[in-house]
Amino acid sequence: MVMQENDETGHTLSLDYTFIPTNAFGFYIKQEENGKEILMVTPEFNTLLKRWNLPDGQWNIFNMSGAGLAHYRDNTQPCLWTAFLADYESRRWFFSYEPRFVWDGDIEKSFWQRARVGIAPYLANYNDLNTWIMFQVDHHPAKHDHFVATPLIRFFYKTYLFEVGYSSNQHIMVNWQIQF
Amino acid sequence: MKKYLLTIIVIFGLTSAVSADTIKATVNGMVCGFCATGIEKTFRAQPEVKTVNVDLENKLVTIQTKQGQTLDDSKIKKLLGNAGYSVVAVARQK
Repeated sequence: MVMQENDETGHTLSLDYTFIPTNAFGFYIKQEENGKEILMVTPEFNTLLKRWNLPDGQWNIFNMSGAGLAHYRDNTQPCLWTAFLADYESRRWFFSYEPRFVWDGDIEKSFWQRARVGIAPYLANYNDLNTWIMFQVDHHPAKHDHFVATPLIRFFYKTYLFEVGYSSNQHIMVNWQIQF
Repeated sequence: MKKYLLTIIVIFGLTSAVSADTIKATVNGMVCGFCATGIEKTFRAQPEVKTVNVDLENKLVTIQTKQGQTLDDSKIKKLLGNAGYSVVAVARQK
């Protein structure tokens, strides 16, 4: 899977190989913006901790973690990050909550959290274009804009996902994801 | 008459032995294209499988096996379970 996120927090690129359906290993690069412009480069490990399957949906808890290097100006430090993602998905509704902890040596230690809600205006099948109207709220205690709201539209077709939005602190969001 | 009946039984038996199965598994937890892709990949990797189709609306995974081959219920449940989904029922037809 390859995923790129461009939003008010910066630019992220992830390349992951799912070696068993519940675990993936890959590579993570993030260039932060809207605060210290920190570059992080780490291997990452993603795992599905728990899933509850329901007739019309599923609950999931994931963990994503990485350890590598962070660079800011002339300072390079070891870094660690970990995030938990809890979500509920059905063909109509989407809810998620993600707290994330980042330790960039003596450059920065930060915590941020993100919540999303989404609704599909029509129910699409696997071979149809799926459309979602979503609303995202980010909370960044370490940055100037403590709360940032981003309305967005998600398009989903088979293994291709594309999102576009515009945040309350005037940043364009463009995310995409392809599964192989 | 007996010979005639016996012949029919033998022919029917042979036909059944070499025919393919169409298996319909009702599955909980399938909600999106990524789910469907993962399930399709899992079953396409099985040597017994000819085609696989995921129907999100009806929560059905339809598997057609190759001639003379089959997938038993326990293997179907194991494959879908390992992929992260729960099997509610398995129905099959020759």
